[in-house]
Amino acid sequence: MNATGYAMRTDQLTVRYGSFTALSEVSVGLRAGAITGLIGPNGAGKTTLLNALSGFTDVHSGVVYLEEKDVTTLAAHRRARAGVIRGFQTVRLLERESVLDNVLLGAERLHQPSDCSQILGLPAHWKWRTVARSKAADVLELLGLSSDSHRSVDSLPFASRRLVEVARVLISAPPVVLLDEPAAGLDQRGRIELAGALVRVHEQTGLTMAVVEHDIDFVTRLCGSVIAMDSGSHVMTGTPQEVFSDARVQIAYFGRAANAHA
Amino acid sequence: MTTQIRQLPATPSMMSPPPARWPHLSTVVIVGLIAAVPLVFFGDYWMFVAAKILAFGIAAMGLQILYGRAGLMSLAQGAFMGVGAYAGYLVAQSGLGPGIQLLAVIGAASLVALIVGLPTLRLSPLRLAIVTLAFGELFNWLLINSTEWTGGSQGAPVEPLIIFGFDTSYPLDAYLVALAFAVPLTLFALNLGQTHLGRRMMAIRDSEMAAVSVGVFIPKTKIIAFVLSAVFGGIGGWLYSATTGFIAPPDFDLFASVFLLAAVVIGGSRSVAGAWMGTAFIVLLPEGFNLIGQPNLYALAGGLLLATTALLLPDGFSGVFAHIKSLITRMRAQEDRA
Repeated sequence: MNATGYAMRTDQLTVRYGSFTALSEVSVGLRAGAITGLIGPNGAGKTTLLNALSGFTDVHSGVVYLEEKDVTTLAAHRRARAGVIRGFQTVRLLERESVLDNVLLGAERLHQPSDCSQILGLPAHWKWRTVARSKAADVLELLGLSSDSHRSVDSLPFASRRLVEVARVLISAPPVVLLDEPAAGLDQRGRIELAGALVRVHEQTGLTMAVVEHDIDFVTRLCGSVIAMDSGSHVMTGTPQEVFSDARVQIAYFGRAANAHA
Repeated sequence: MTTQIRQLPATPSMMSPPPARWPHLSTVVIVGLIAAVPLVFFGDYWMFVAAKILAFGIAAMGLQILYGRAGLMSLAQGAFMGVGAYAGYLVAQSGLGPGIQLLAVIGAASLVALIVGLPTLRLSPLRLAIVTLAFGELFNWLLINSTEWTGGSQGAPVEPLIIFGFDTSYPLDAYLVALAFAVPLTLFALNLGQTHLGRRMMAIRDSEMAAVSVGVFIPKTKIIAFVLSAVFGGIGGWLYSATTGFIAPPDFDLFASVFLLAAVVIGGSRSVAGAWMGTAFIVLLPEGFNLIGQPNLYALAGGLLLATTALLLPDGFSGVFAHIKSLITRMRAQEDRA
């Protein structure tokens, strides 16, 4: 926690791909210990914002702060080690490895024994392995994946594959979690379960989370505050009720203003 | 909330199969029996062939780490065998024993791997393959053109290794010495599959973005894979030269590298056992043509046979075994449910 109350924030952030401006002077923050929704129509710049926060894209101008430290030029893997772990809109998994191995990959951030003692199979390595596996078991249990833990991920249905990625993100209990449409492809029941699981993780660990999501019900269920974006610009920030009833958001989202939000 | 979740009992599926710390007893017995076959049945010639399989197999395991696990293709594993063989040879020339030779082999292989790998590992896998190809050619050229050190293109006789009274100029002893290295190196290679380092390598193979997103520093992991594979290659080459009693540049040229890559692919690049099966197959294949009195047929039919195997078994020999194993598991699971 810090003076501003934001775990991560951007200041006048601009991201350009050639002549296309994907983000234009965006100044937003992820309130520490809260779940923030990122909404907006396609091309609004939600994923670009996530990429900029996690170090997966070059920034043209502006600053990204992590706990008030300027991390704008910090490489993606270093940002991950500093505690910013993300998921992807298109799930990126080790396709022919087991669910367990995929989740354990996320344990990279946990303090590990040296590569040398891993290669030689020294006791420190086996101890670490036990700890990491029990953390994996916890997070698999939480997301209802326990019975699939030894299955190869390429044999799983799409929805479970998404959950495997969420599990990989959560296993190291990172202070900042960035999820890109984690509920895409889930049915209504799956969405409710995922939202429940994320809320539980959040209650247990008090992590800061940003979730890109289209589903208004999911966002309302999960998020304390919502950042609305459109065409690479920040439209507004507020509670889900405030944001979804705002005329600007409704026009951006539905192409018209409605009296009652969905 | 926390306690409630932590106290949930592990479900049966979490507990089985148990994480195997050491290979199952049945595996040990089977491998032991296979390793004992040459001792019981083989005369000198076949013992010599078996020792060659062990030497090549060690190098192939190294390539399996690099190619199968980390997804980086090298066309220089034969050259790294040469690095090990010539490092051992040069140290032996100054009258030093096997222990110092082994250190020199490991040191030289690591050093050369760092020199080749550090500037190039940021390249795409295909470019890396081309760079390793160039390195292999350069290495061979160097061997041929430093005659006073290496014996040049004529090659040079190698002093046998004498370890605890075992003398590698006898095929039986050469086999046993190679086995003494092959067993612990195989255990190291298998152990890598249990480590986070090994998982990091697989992440580089399958999705660099996933690897980066969890905090993996990709160049470091690639370098470790490259150095490990070079060390395995170096030790394999050193044992190979001790077994044959002679070194010459053609033993470590591009053909040797391709030969090892073929062994890894045909055996199944995703497993250590595959590297062994592929090596055995590829070393025994020409011997088989010799046996039926048609050694010249190997050049033609051998290539055809390799290509057919690669096409019919996309996951190599080890893939077939893995498939059978998963079938059995599934059948058992069905029986349990019934």
